[in-house]
Amino acid sequence: MDVAVTVNGVEYERDVEPRKLLIHFIRDDLDLTGSHIGCDTGNCGACSMIVDGLLVKSCMLLAVQADGATIETVEGLAEDGKLTALQQAFSDHHALQCGYCTPGMLMSATALLRENPSPSEREIRKALQGNLCRCTGYWNIFEAVKAAAK
Amino acid sequence: MTEATLAPAPGEVVVPSKKWQGQNVPRKEDKRLTQGEGVFVDDIKRHGMGYVHFVRSPYAHAHITSVDVSKAEEIRGVYGTITGEEVAALTDPFFQLSTPPGAHLKDYALAVGKVRYVGEPVVAVVAETRELARDASELVDVDYEPLPALVDARRARDESAPVLHEDSGSNLMWEGVYEWGDVDAAFAEADKVVKIKELHFHRFNSTPLECDGALVEFNRGVGQWTIYTNNQFPGFAQIMMGPAMRTGLDKLRFVTQDIGGGFGNKITSHPQLVVCCLLARKLNRPIQWTEWRTDFHLSMSHGNERWFLDTEVAVRSDGTLLGFRTKALDDAGAWLRYEPLGGVIWAQVTPGVYRWRNIRLEFTQVATNKAPCSPNRGYSRMQHLWFTERMLDIVAHELGLDPVEVRKRNYIKADEMPYETPNGCIYDSGDYAKMLDVALDLIGWDALEARREDARSRGRLLGLGIGSTLDSGTNNFGQSRLINPELQFSGNNEVATVKLDIFGEVVVTLGTTPQGQGHETTAAQVVADILGCSIDDVHVRAGHDSYWNSHAGFSGTYASQFAVTGLSAVKGATEMLAEQITKLGSVILGGVPEDALELADGTVRIKENPEAALPFMACGAIINANNAGLPEDLDVTLNCRYVYRPPFQVPDVERKYGNLTLTYAAQVHAAVVEIDPETGHYEIVDYAAVDDCGVRIHPQIVEGQVMGATAQALGAAMHEAFEYDDEGNLLTPNFYDYHVPHALDVPPLETGYIETASPFTPLGTKGMGEGGGAGIHSVCAAIQDALRGHGDAIVYDSWNPYKRVWELLEHPERARSLVEVVGA
Amino acid sequence: MLLREVEYAKPASVADALATLAEHDGARALAGGQTLINVMKARAASPDVLVDLNGLAELKGIDLAADGTLTIGAMTTYAELIRSAEARARPILGEVCATIADVQVRNRGTLGGNVCANDPTNHLPPLMCAVGAELTIASAAGERTVPAADFFLGVYMTAVGPGELLTRITIPAGKRDGFAAVTLGVDGTCIVNAAASVNGGVRVALGCVDAVPVLVEAASPEEVADAVERAALRPPSDVHASSEYRAHLAQVLATRAAREAAART
Repeated sequence: MDVAVTVNGVEYERDVEPRKLLIHFIRDDLDLTGSHIGCDTGNCGACSMIVDGLLVKSCMLLAVQADGATIETVEGLAEDGKLTALQQAFSDHHALQCGYCTPGMLMSATALLRENPSPSEREIRKALQGNLCRCTGYWNIFEAVKAAAK
Repeated sequence: MTEATLAPAPGEVVVPSKKWQGQNVPRKEDKRLTQGEGVFVDDIKRHGMGYVHFVRSPYAHAHITSVDVSKAEEIRGVYGTITGEEVAALTDPFFQLSTPPGAHLKDYALAVGKVRYVGEPVVAVVAETRELARDASELVDVDYEPLPALVDARRARDESAPVLHEDSGSNLMWEGVYEWGDVDAAFAEADKVVKIKELHFHRFNSTPLECDGALVEFNRGVGQWTIYTNNQFPGFAQIMMGPAMRTGLDKLRFVTQDIGGGFGNKITSHPQLVVCCLLARKLNRPIQWTEWRTDFHLSMSHGNERWFLDTEVAVRSDGTLLGFRTKALDDAGAWLRYEPLGGVIWAQVTPGVYRWRNIRLEFTQVATNKAPCSPNRGYSRMQHLWFTERMLDIVAHELGLDPVEVRKRNYIKADEMPYETPNGCIYDSGDYAKMLDVALDLIGWDALEARREDARSRGRLLGLGIGSTLDSGTNNFGQSRLINPELQFSGNNEVATVKLDIFGEVVVTLGTTPQGQGHETTAAQVVADILGCSIDDVHVRAGHDSYWNSHAGFSGTYASQFAVTGLSAVKGATEMLAEQITKLGSVILGGVPEDALELADGTVRIKENPEAALPFMACGAIINANNAGLPEDLDVTLNCRYVYRPPFQVPDVERKYGNLTLTYAAQVHAAVVEIDPETGHYEIVDYAAVDDCGVRIHPQIVEGQVMGATAQALGAAMHEAFEYDDEGNLLTPNFYDYHVPHALDVPPLETGYIETASPFTPLGTKGMGEGGGAGIHSVCAAIQDALRGHGDAIVYDSWNPYKRVWELLEHPERARSLVEVVGA
Repeated sequence: MLLREVEYAKPASVADALATLAEHDGARALAGGQTLINVMKARAASPDVLVDLNGLAELKGIDLAADGTLTIGAMTTYAELIRSAEARARPILGEVCATIADVQVRNRGTLGGNVCANDPTNHLPPLMCAVGAELTIASAAGERTVPAADFFLGVYMTAVGPGELLTRITIPAGKRDGFAAVTLGVDGTCIVNAAASVNGGVRVALGCVDAVPVLVEAASPEEVADAVERAALRPPSDVHASSEYRAHLAQVLATRAAREAAART
């Protein structure tokens, strides 16, 4: 089936099997490998991206369901290599170690700050509940989001 | 210290001028990782690559009576398959570290003749797309004849137990007896003996977010495999794979860049890598393998599950620990993939952080129909340290003593460092009592009773628990001879190269395989300080590549050693380069004596006359492209390779005695829990973690490791477990049932630190990162404390989900029946 | 992780959707996908045709009638319900939805999907039973309405038959509700849950203890524990809880939910 999407401002059109998951389409067909896969039950959030303005886990959407959608992934955050305040805050506060959860975490934090520019720690924790990290224990991530929120 | 000490003489710790070291410099890795520009193995694509899917055993134990791949191979788009029978013809079984009978088992890359755990790979199918490979795998016909499954290690030596490996004839994989000091005398002298029938350290692992994977290419013309992968110990993988594949190690080129977490769990992927290599050769195309989460849970690197049976602790009435006896029963799962090294590695920390000298431990390792165990963060030491903390806490509990006081009474003291343990390990430095004080201060110990009262008023039971632990780092691989005297391994090493390129760029290559520990950054800090240049001018290549020739037999990132092995190699190589730059500078600057020169601002210059400077660019250009006229005997290449070798001796195999690790970082944690007695549900309401890893090159990175280890330990203590049913089915095969802590789960955290430099390492650093599981120790202690006066159950298992806490409250007699105190 | 081959249909109307569902035995409705896609990844079920209900305006919307009755379109997402001013008329709805999974799941997952999946650990089946919801099912033949107590038939099985669709959930007016759960991690999967509603007496629906929610009634919150005892529960055992432990939790949580409900005004 034909799928046309706009990802980070760029238009793409491909023919895909209905059974292909959106995350595989993004990674394998469009070569946007910034978004990752960490599980097979929709629990880890490494595949998180913003689709038509809503934060979703792209492993639980079929590519064909995204036909006509506007998608934002981690590759679209920085402009010409200039990190966003959030990305910079992640680095400043050592909110990433291996970096595998980071793209999904950044998309979730980006979605949070759009809706709630000054979140409390409790709100940050709640917003990031769907993004697992095994390296940091999350504490530095909370600090990074707070710093970016200021 | 007595006897022919195997300890290195305390060296002079020379810390270069610290402009960069000790600072929280921005991590070099972050720019690419925050933009999604990291290169993880699944990101790599090759034209024409075939995707692998493994057909896996649905049975815990069964004969394979037939395998038929014909229907799968008929499907258009399926490139081919490989079976166990083919693997057995093409390869030799993996080298076994154990002694007979364990050593006799035959371990191939795919199941041959029999399956021994649910999820064991049986056949591999390769197809044009991922989905097609998965579809085709369903058309592979494997017939099984199920056999009874062995799931309980305590039954493994029963007459009636099913035997996993006919070649071994027994489920015994390894056994050994360790005894030091005078155990009988200790028990004779004791006021009391605390007997604990059973303690159990559960099976889990660190579930790195990225699972294993590889993309393997075979260059037929030169017989060379290139293995893009995320294996974190390529040195070990090569040693296992080469002989099995009947090929030289140099023919197995390992390339890694970014790895999404390792924690030890990415050490034993060599069987799957062999399958990929064979397929790449057979099918003449690149082979891509992605391990899915369920595959990983079913088959990869479970942490050692260990029982401590019939433990007896000899104590004085005042809580002085005199000695202990125990039988450690280790459940290795179906195959020995890095085991039985766990059978000796615990001995790096034999007495824990305590001063007792009289210890007897009978270690038995058995096979069961579960996933193979291999290293997990804190490998084998964590189990033993948990056991040690349990003994101490249970002793305090039974004798009505304060666990804080008992710890202080028994801790090895700072002025006893370096301290030789009963089995000859040398704890380099540390001050555990001070760390405990810091932890208690951070947790608000003084206010504890008031908090307990407040919790009571809300219907909650509050408890405080301490966990002291060690993170022994930089292995002496000679300890493997205590497992098997025939093994020819000893010592350790790591390699670094540092060079000046033609335009004066400083380029560093490492032998390590970082998975988030920031090696590019910390290596650059060390280099920049020695060369007197900016950290921005030091380029550290990302990842690992065997073609760089920057590795040795033990290269990799595991066992808490980079700050010692990796950074010492970097230091050595950089000092060589600094010396060469100085030598060259001396010649070029008109024969100035070398001691009149210094390296600063990216130049070599005359101290008294800094304007007379030769920039690195000039140095690089001269040696590389403009070298006519240089003195014939000028030994300067500006391309320096250094192999760091820690000062180890081969241990005394007979007495099981000797220094097994170079450095001993430590952590002391304090946990406060609140239990809802009506439901068994509990929360960690406060947490403090104090660490000491000697000199900190990058404090933020160190703290990040402490935090990560803490979160993992808390997850393991409360939720995470690889639990099996009686048929050998894994009940937690994915993240739905295996609950990993998320952002709402982690408690408020306070961290603290002290720094006791290691006298044994070039930079005063100690390896750290694994942590030692202090989070598990402290949560167990806190639960036990909360239950005082409410049944007084002892905590006997490292896994304490809500159902267990409720059980301890409802039926404390079951836990209490495990412990007995007798007058000597 | 990798689905079997499937056909995909995007109907333009509920009538279209019903026709496609009726036409193919192996057709399944795709709501939020937060359960179904995972089921398909595991290949535990593999429909032949997915009928995507996303985008059908007829299945959206939350209406608050003058008498306080709420009518909620089956494809309302948890996030939409939480944000809805109308839904605050029955506060327990938004409160419970806010504890389901995480932000990403709540942005796509639907109330209709939750009740139709009828996983024994789901939050909404017991909640719908406690508040006395009515569920409207459409087919080519027309519409019928089933009370919650009769809607849940077995594990993953509801009164929605082949060729049918849940279109809306109707919830009577009320505020005196409670919900209590022990979950795997904070706001995680339920190990046992209980939903309660006070209207004269107390009605409690227990989840995770049987194939379908178990309803008990009592005159007051303090009598709920006995009522649960009399229900003679035989809950399943699994890695998170023994049967005995679940039965115990059911009593405790039922009482807590009932007390919470009674305390509201």
